[in-house]
Amino acid sequence: MRGSERNFYSFLKRHQLVLISAVLAVFSLHLALTDRKEYERGYLLKEALSYALTPVQETLLGAEAIAEGVWSDYVLLVGVNRENSELKNAVSVLEEENNRLREEIMRDARLRAVLGYRDALPFSTTGAAVTGFNVERWTRTIVVNKGLSDGIGKDHAVIAPQGIVGRTLDVHDGSSRVLLMTDARSNIDVIVQRTRVKGVAEGNGTDALVLKYVRVIDDVQVGDKVVTSGISGIFPKGLVVGEVTKIEKARDNFFNHIEVRPAVDIKRLEEVLVLSERPRMAE
Amino acid sequence: MKDFLLFLPLTIAYLALKSTVLSGFPLPDVTLIIVFYMAHRKAAVDGALAAFALGYLDDAMSGGVLGASSFSLVIIFAAVHLLSKVVQFTTPAIRGGGVFAASVLKGALAYYILRAAGLDALFQPGMVLEAAVSGLLAPAVFALLQKTADLATPRKFKDNEN
Repeated sequence: MRGSERNFYSFLKRHQLVLISAVLAVFSLHLALTDRKEYERGYLLKEALSYALTPVQETLLGAEAIAEGVWSDYVLLVGVNRENSELKNAVSVLEEENNRLREEIMRDARLRAVLGYRDALPFSTTGAAVTGFNVERWTRTIVVNKGLSDGIGKDHAVIAPQGIVGRTLDVHDGSSRVLLMTDARSNIDVIVQRTRVKGVAEGNGTDALVLKYVRVIDDVQVGDKVVTSGISGIFPKGLVVGEVTKIEKARDNFFNHIEVRPAVDIKRLEEVLVLSERPRMAE
Repeated sequence: MKDFLLFLPLTIAYLALKSTVLSGFPLPDVTLIIVFYMAHRKAAVDGALAAFALGYLDDAMSGGVLGASSFSLVIIFAAVHLLSKVVQFTTPAIRGGGVFAASVLKGALAYYILRAAGLDALFQPGMVLEAAVSGLLAPAVFALLQKTADLATPRKFKDNEN
């Protein structure tokens, strides 16, 4: 082996960790920069995770409820003297029942609202419960407990009685991941309801949306309602997206920088409707 | 590889909890702390592969941009490995400070990747607060990781050597 070859191998061996890290970093970068166009990548892993994670998420949510029950029914009563224990126990049971009934009433009201809304819609939908939230710095998704077996496909609109929630991103057999409209990857064709000015509502990773491509000369005011235009072919026309909360002149002096507050409060979302089929393009 | 297999269930449990009952709570970035722990302790090639795998898992489970976290974690792994030749991450304060800096770096890298991918991501100063939470809780997580690693390591008895 010549000296230069030996030096080369010795260099590789000495810096193998950094070199392998560099290769992995470049590969990761490739994945990240092409991910937006190719959502199918990582399908097998996502499918496996969906099977593994959805029951875990449902179990964890169930375990939380049990733990709350244990805490209020037993742990807090330790140390209470015998004379009061029966009475307090009865009160605790009644409070627990009262709380459960209140939860039932609230759930009933929510479901009635969702069902009433669903019946009024001119297209078929599937009701689904939210089983997981992922609110990262720029990416925002939720997991719902309905999937391919319920007739849900990729890029189906997800809505609530208050308005748009997002669209399905990864659909598995019994669950789906929904890309929320506030995710940085989301953009929806919209119109300002009052003046019919068109724009694109984009997520930027915060709790607000940015209404883009609205010119300075266009008539838009704070408080205006923004609804879907139906152009994208994902969302039907006329669904509420949000309300204009801030208007500023952009640096280019041509477009306005407009912020929109989403109509749906994601943090309070428990049930959603998923459109069973993609709507026809707006006429 | 042993560390990776040990910490993989921990990462999955953390990601599952983060998306359900602990959603909305300020949690330390456990995935980042694991990578930091592996990088400064005894960095090897399988550590870099583990950093990539944990990042990929993080992206896949949170529905994020695939590759964004794995890129950041691999870079952080290599950086901490190189840095640990000159800085001894022995005290809780230095480890906490290191995790804080790594968390800020992770946020900044993710931001620039999203911008490069053509997404209109807004720079979020709140990530410094998240980094502070990770930095503050890092020593406790380090202790937990060390305990887990110790449990899986067979003990040697000096008496038997004679």
